[in-house]
Amino acid sequence: MQARRPPIAALLVAAGLLAAGPARAAGSTISGKVEATPAKYRPDTVVYLKNVPGAHPPRTHEIDQRGMQFVPHVLAVAQGDTVKFLNHDKVAHNVYSPDGEGYNLGSFKQDQSASYTFKKTGTYTQLCSIHPEMLGYVFVGQNPYAAAVDAKGHYAIHDVPPGTWQLAVWNGDKLKAPDRTVTVAAGKALTENFSLKR
Amino acid sequence: MSSRKSLARLIEAALIVAGLAAAFPASAIPAFARKYGTSCLTCHTVYPKLTPFGEAFRRNGYRFPGVDSDQVKQETVALGQEANKKSFPDAVWPAAIPGSLPVAIGFNGLASLYPDKTASIPRTNAAAGGAAVRGSLDDLVAEGHLWLGAALSDTVTTWGELTLGDDGSLSLEHAQLLFNDLVGPPHAVNLVVGKGFPTLSSFGPHSSYAADAQIPVLPVTGLYGLSADPFVLVDNYKGAEVNGVLGGRFQYAAGISNGKNSFGQRFNAENWYLSAGAKLGGMRLDGEGDAGPQDAMRPWAEESLTVHAFAYHSNEWFPTPGGVGTASNDVSFTVGGGARAMVGSAELDVGWYGQSHGHGSDALDKVRAGVAYGELSYVVYPWLVPALRVERMSLKPAGGSSVSDLHWMPAVAFLIRPNVKLVLAGNVEQASGFPSPGGAPAAWGGGSGDAGALAITPTGADPAAKLNELESITAFLAWAL
Repeated sequence: MQARRPPIAALLVAAGLLAAGPARAAGSTISGKVEATPAKYRPDTVVYLKNVPGAHPPRTHEIDQRGMQFVPHVLAVAQGDTVKFLNHDKVAHNVYSPDGEGYNLGSFKQDQSASYTFKKTGTYTQLCSIHPEMLGYVFVGQNPYAAAVDAKGHYAIHDVPPGTWQLAVWNGDKLKAPDRTVTVAAGKALTENFSLKR
Repeated sequence: MSSRKSLARLIEAALIVAGLAAAFPASAIPAFARKYGTSCLTCHTVYPKLTPFGEAFRRNGYRFPGVDSDQVKQETVALGQEANKKSFPDAVWPAAIPGSLPVAIGFNGLASLYPDKTASIPRTNAAAGGAAVRGSLDDLVAEGHLWLGAALSDTVTTWGELTLGDDGSLSLEHAQLLFNDLVGPPHAVNLVVGKGFPTLSSFGPHSSYAADAQIPVLPVTGLYGLSADPFVLVDNYKGAEVNGVLGGRFQYAAGISNGKNSFGQRFNAENWYLSAGAKLGGMRLDGEGDAGPQDAMRPWAEESLTVHAFAYHSNEWFPTPGGVGTASNDVSFTVGGGARAMVGSAELDVGWYGQSHGHGSDALDKVRAGVAYGELSYVVYPWLVPALRVERMSLKPAGGSSVSDLHWMPAVAFLIRPNVKLVLAGNVEQASGFPSPGGAPAAWGGGSGDAGALAITPTGADPAAKLNELESITAFLAWAL
């Protein structure tokens, strides 16, 4: 049975949404396509905004271990977000990262999970000590305005607050593209394409 | 059996072994074509002859300039991710293997015509008084090869080759691990461990259109009947080599190897060598930079001059002649060098080396040997390359006369398909004397492999006899996939 939310709590939630929300309400979408040379490195790409002030309520995301792979291969989150690591394989998996403060979530069997909250920005390589070939990335940005590219290189960052921001691309230590300054107008979509090279 | 007959049989065996050593199998390797998703012509003209880019790929430890893995199109299986380095020693050091077996196969052999039925080449008069053979297909398919070429990471690569002879023999020709970019800038310091050719030149060992080897060999202790497995300069030896390219224009190598030992008992590995080279003009030796070929329509062509030199110390062991259960050794020292000038599609490749043997003759006396070679070629089309190759071998045993053999090889190399080649070649030899172990003249041996092996054989008892012969016309056929 669904719990009935007290009116005062509903007001607080609404206030919270308003606090973080004015920008969202008037937010815009930055989208585009990323080309890469060589193209095989394109899947490891995140497009993100640098240094967007404001409070960003923590969220919870999921990365599955399925078919001996991290799914999604790249996940973009914000500082303070939590990632729940699932295991839908019939074999045991481990999740650890040597990056940042480093962590090891131990091993867990099928249908078990383990979570980790990312308190620092950076890119955390996701490894499995049981299966050294497995690789994934958690990109932890200062803000939630980040998106990993899809299979064709498309990305879309939604609810971007109006303002002038630095738009950047992360592609591990392989390919690069210069940051660019973008101005987002309320309610207007923006298209920014990138070409990544060594 | 008389001692003279025994000696003759030993020399025959030695020449067969030396011939096998000289028959360097072609090393075009379609496994690389699959790995990079590129044509053979990215690295070769008429394979195994390499273009300047192909030479750079070989020098770089079978890696593309820049970051090798950027160019790899074949699926790979990670044995450990790059990020594992951050967890070392708690995690395995990263590596990868190709998603499919990185092997290639190939076959080669030759058809021979013997226009001069009086020529001394043994095949034409196999039995005394027998009918002269005018042509032979016995060697049309002489060898099969299984090549391995792969990268374990961006800096560690491996190279191998198994050769199966038509006679059923199986030979492990190469098996090498290459640890590249060990210290300093890329390509500066590399370590090669395993079995393979020593680096004595700035170019690959198969850098010839007419023959199969750039540097011809002269099996001195074999010619004098001392060893059934004689030392030759370029052969597959087990050892380690440090090499590299500095500043894109200088290359060096230094190595040690086990050398030759036909005695059957182990001895210290005392073979060592040094080599260095420099290139002016054309593509850098490591292929780095974005200059590319000077003429995009003729990627093999450039204006360049490359010079190289080497020194080689060998200590070879063999059974003492006439002795029972004792070994003798021949210490030899070789110095040599060469140069290659490229003017557009024309190429002139020349080289020379002198060899001083301490106990190289049948009497365990000193022998001085000299080898000079030159090859002029012109790439008319990417599939048609005429060439003229000349080799001169000489021997001067202590207290004896100097003898020599001049070998002319006019040839035309065809690329029927990028992975199918045909080389038509003529073999003319002019002997001015013969090696004379025990005082009796014996056949010359060595050369530059396959159709390029020396074959002239004395027809009389005079070791100083002069003999000019058209030995054969050969059609060398090879294909790989």
